[in-house]
Amino acid sequence: MERQFEIQIEKLRTRLIKMCSLVDEQVEFALKAIDEGNPELAELVIERDDKVDKYDVKIEKVCQKIFALNQPVAMDLRLIMSSLTINTNLERIGDLAVNLAESVTELGKKPGFFDKTRLKEMSILSREMIKNAIDSFIENDPELAQKVIKSDDDVDELDRANHTILKEIMKENPENVEPGIALLEVSRHLERLADHATNIAEDVYFIVEAQMIKHKYEKYLFSEDEGDDESSND
Amino acid sequence: MKEIKISVENFSLFYGNKQALKNISMDIYANRITALIGPSGCGKSTFIRSINRMNDLIDSVRINGRIVIDGKNIYDKEIDVVNLRKKIGMVFQKSNLFPMTVYENIVFGVKINGLRDKKKLDEIVERSLNNAALFEEVKDRLHTPALSLSGGQQQRLCIARTLAIEPQIILMDEPASALDPISTAKIEELIHSLKQNYTVVIVTHNMQQAARVSDHTAFFYIGELVEYDKTSKMFTKPSIKQTEDYVTGRFG
Repeated sequence: MERQFEIQIEKLRTRLIKMCSLVDEQVEFALKAIDEGNPELAELVIERDDKVDKYDVKIEKVCQKIFALNQPVAMDLRLIMSSLTINTNLERIGDLAVNLAESVTELGKKPGFFDKTRLKEMSILSREMIKNAIDSFIENDPELAQKVIKSDDDVDELDRANHTILKEIMKENPENVEPGIALLEVSRHLERLADHATNIAEDVYFIVEAQMIKHKYEKYLFSEDEGDDESSND
Repeated sequence: MKEIKISVENFSLFYGNKQALKNISMDIYANRITALIGPSGCGKSTFIRSINRMNDLIDSVRINGRIVIDGKNIYDKEIDVVNLRKKIGMVFQKSNLFPMTVYENIVFGVKINGLRDKKKLDEIVERSLNNAALFEEVKDRLHTPALSLSGGQQQRLCIARTLAIEPQIILMDEPASALDPISTAKIEELIHSLKQNYTVVIVTHNMQQAARVSDHTAFFYIGELVEYDKTSKMFTKPSIKQTEDYVTGRFG
């Protein structure tokens, strides 16, 4: 007989996976809207954010119920704790998709004033990181999670390069300031997408390997030192 | 550095031909609370009863290995079991008070040991009841029958009675399993406060209780010590799959 607790856990996972695919699609549509300069698609992303928010609340409620009724420990505790933070990160990714969609009109005002190759590259990388982070959660795959974490530096570097170049362009001509700021924001949103994907990957690693690697992943990934901070009841 | 109070070395126990404990080795630390968990029949009660040689009372029991307390193997021939048990108090699942007054229950042990001074006995009663967080509730009922107290009070009185003989180690076999949640919470608070002065070993079926009260947890299964570690680790990141399955309720 399947235990009531396992039914609840399955329910939680199903909801999270549904939220993952919705958020992933939101990002896909937002980036496509920017790429094609498509305000209708951007509008659709903005409208659907409500749905993301509803999932956010539903998932929190399931977690709250499991904590209150089952007092989970060990791997179950890690899953529920991480589900809450993964949920928050997914909701923030949803918000960033909206922010990106909102910039479509502004970006359309002065097309071609900036070489968008780097932005395109950032979009592809961030999107791939989100997809891999989600897959690592669905498949319980810590190696894929590590791959996501390692990619974050590349996105950060592209963002920094965008800042340097856009600053120079804006200095050249005051007319460049408005579109320049819009592009800076897009770059920042893409960088934040990658950060949230990284957070999710760190949680997946924690669920599967019982090891917290956030904030010190380089130390973990590139050295043998486990750096485990055992809390004690002493 | 934690001081080792009880050192268990390759300890096995047999009931006739049946082996109930299999080569257990573990160090129990002074002024810490150690919880023993595991499904029914796993040997945890047998183990706790080995620490004060209660199993000696069963004819068919045979042991191998050592249990060393303060540097002495308690199973050595020259050990005086009565003296040993003075050092080790025990509290059981059901309170086992004598049909006497609250006061008489507490002083029973010390009187047997020869103390008669009324003033000293009064002091012991007050101190023991205070340490068992019961004094305020029963100070006006010291000379009423102990069995008229509530279940939770009776259990704390058992603890007070144990404290009266000033043991170093307190063994508790499911001390709160027959109590309501409020009495359970009081006993748990009491266990916490006891570790300042005593080494506490507790058997519990209630895993959340083990998580709440203990510093270290030992998981027993079919007579074997499967895993023994800090409680925080046992309930967040156990090293052995069997422990994880047990603490998460997947078997047992």
